[in-house]
Amino acid sequence: MKISARIFLIVTGILLLSHYLPAGYWLLAEKQQRAPYVYYSCISNRFLFYRFGVGEPLRVDSDGKVYDRDEFEQLLPLDNYSQLLRDGKMPKTVNGIPIAVEKLRRERINLRVKPVMFDGPGVDLYPLLEAESGRVRLELPPDFMRLGKSVEFIDAKSNTLLAEKSAKFLEAFKAQGFVFPATIVGGNPSTMKPFDEGYFIADNQGSVFHLRQVQGAPVLKRVSDVVKPEEKARWTSLKPRFIQVQEQDNHEVRAVIIDEGGQANIVVGPDYRLVTVPLKDYNPTTMVLNMRGDLLNRLATVSSEHHLEAIVMNRNYDLVDRHSEPLRERRETTAGKIAGALFPFTLEFEDKNSGYIGFYAQPGNAMMWIVNGSLLLILTGWILFRKQRLPGRWLDLLAVATTGLFGFVLVWLIPRSE
Amino acid sequence: MFRATLYKEWIKLRVYWSFMLASSIGFAAFLSLRLRHANEFYDAVSIWGAWLFKGYLFFGRYHYFPIAAGVILSALQFLPETLNKRVRLVLHLPLGEERVISHHLLSGLLLLSLVFAPAVLMFVLTGWLYFPVEFQQNIALTLTPWILAGYAGYLLTATLLLEMAWRYRVTYLLLSGAVLRLFFLGDFYDTYQRILPALLVWSAALFLLPLLSSYRFRKGLES
Repeated sequence: MKISARIFLIVTGILLLSHYLPAGYWLLAEKQQRAPYVYYSCISNRFLFYRFGVGEPLRVDSDGKVYDRDEFEQLLPLDNYSQLLRDGKMPKTVNGIPIAVEKLRRERINLRVKPVMFDGPGVDLYPLLEAESGRVRLELPPDFMRLGKSVEFIDAKSNTLLAEKSAKFLEAFKAQGFVFPATIVGGNPSTMKPFDEGYFIADNQGSVFHLRQVQGAPVLKRVSDVVKPEEKARWTSLKPRFIQVQEQDNHEVRAVIIDEGGQANIVVGPDYRLVTVPLKDYNPTTMVLNMRGDLLNRLATVSSEHHLEAIVMNRNYDLVDRHSEPLRERRETTAGKIAGALFPFTLEFEDKNSGYIGFYAQPGNAMMWIVNGSLLLILTGWILFRKQRLPGRWLDLLAVATTGLFGFVLVWLIPRSE
Repeated sequence: MFRATLYKEWIKLRVYWSFMLASSIGFAAFLSLRLRHANEFYDAVSIWGAWLFKGYLFFGRYHYFPIAAGVILSALQFLPETLNKRVRLVLHLPLGEERVISHHLLSGLLLLSLVFAPAVLMFVLTGWLYFPVEFQQNIALTLTPWILAGYAGYLLTATLLLEMAWRYRVTYLLLSGAVLRLFFLGDFYDTYQRILPALLVWSAALFLLPLLSSYRFRKGLES
């Protein structure tokens, strides 16, 4: 019991110290390390950056030329039109295209896919809105759709199954050849949107279906059946991993689909055209995908702690320009190298890429073995100085040899049983 | 022998325990009635939406109750024993110190479970009235870390009180604070799903620590 209790205490202590000591260290040592904001100028046709560093952030282009705020805003008229209109500096045309403010607003799109979106808790119950109610504002339905091994509707007020509606929808699913259970469901369960696109659903074989409710009836399409012939093969071979539905004013992007290969695809227009975003280094489990669109271009950026990539596409989603740069990771800074030597590993219980609490460990660097060895020598010297037997302290020595500073701290903190 | 220990602890704790049980039932009843009121006052779709998309489980305010109950019950059970070192008497029973302290701990854990059980039952039944089966899973996975925090709080307090050396009492206090915080990192449903088996095993292994403290107590180890 005594040995087991001490081992338990040491293991618990090591896990706790590997969490709290690095957290305290970084509270003191952390410097601002932020990825730059990326823009694409439709005036100079080049990337512009809002870079963070020591002191004031810098507005620069890809050659490093620094701009003041006014110059920067004039190079980005479609992003800063409100300010430029106020200053009377808004151009009448850009690249020969006349600028109308209302159109500028309507053509802006904004979407973001974060890793946490497809690794977090959720329940397979969805409100299926009435897509064509005839009302100006969307309203939540009184029931929720359960999509799993079958499709069912449950009335929220009475908490009972709606047998008739469930049967009607199940029939529609069967008629389209939907293979239960549904594996991926993408939808936007909100009324704060201009219209309702319903749900994009992948069945057990990976086929993608589009479901809407119109006048209380199901409208379900297997997407590969309604696309243009040249798109059919791509839709048939698509294996979705995550689907995010988009409902933006210009009705252009209908959904973002991350496939099993980790590529980002967007579903464009009434024909469900499938466009693969031509990013080279996108990893959906660790990187945030941002896409901003305006009257002329679509700018997609992905960033992680160590990498930034940006691409610009025209309105037809053809690649126009590309930029990528490495970012300096926290572990590569001087403070990071010291942390890597001091702490053999760092344990986090929360991760920004996941909605679940878990054990998220990061190893230290090779220098930790020198630190561990030095601490082991100090402890051995101390034991011999106190004329104690080394084999009697095997647990303490092992803890220091393997976990360095954590074990060393614990040796003094944890009670002995002799 | 366990029944005798349980009876002794019951005599010692029954007044406080009854108050604790009443508080638990009263708190759970209040939260259940609040859910009923919300269902009467707002439309059911909004209530479901708050659950599904905001992770609002309606019984969230109960989350610190188990840990408070665990710490208080443990203090009430072991503080009188350690203040005048009365526990020495039971440690020298022919039963053996490990077994006798285990019996004390099991008695406390049993009484603690009886405090939590009616509240959990009330949450499940109320949830059953207003929500579909998925809600029960969310409640189970969300309540479990809070209940485990109650047991962990009980065992860590017992460890701290049975330890004689102030230096190590401070260590246990720091360890308790550091570890118990981890039971309350997120209140969105199911967030503990992946870590729950590890928390269960860790909480069960925590039983060893009061035994180590009682061993040191009997041996008179004050360093």
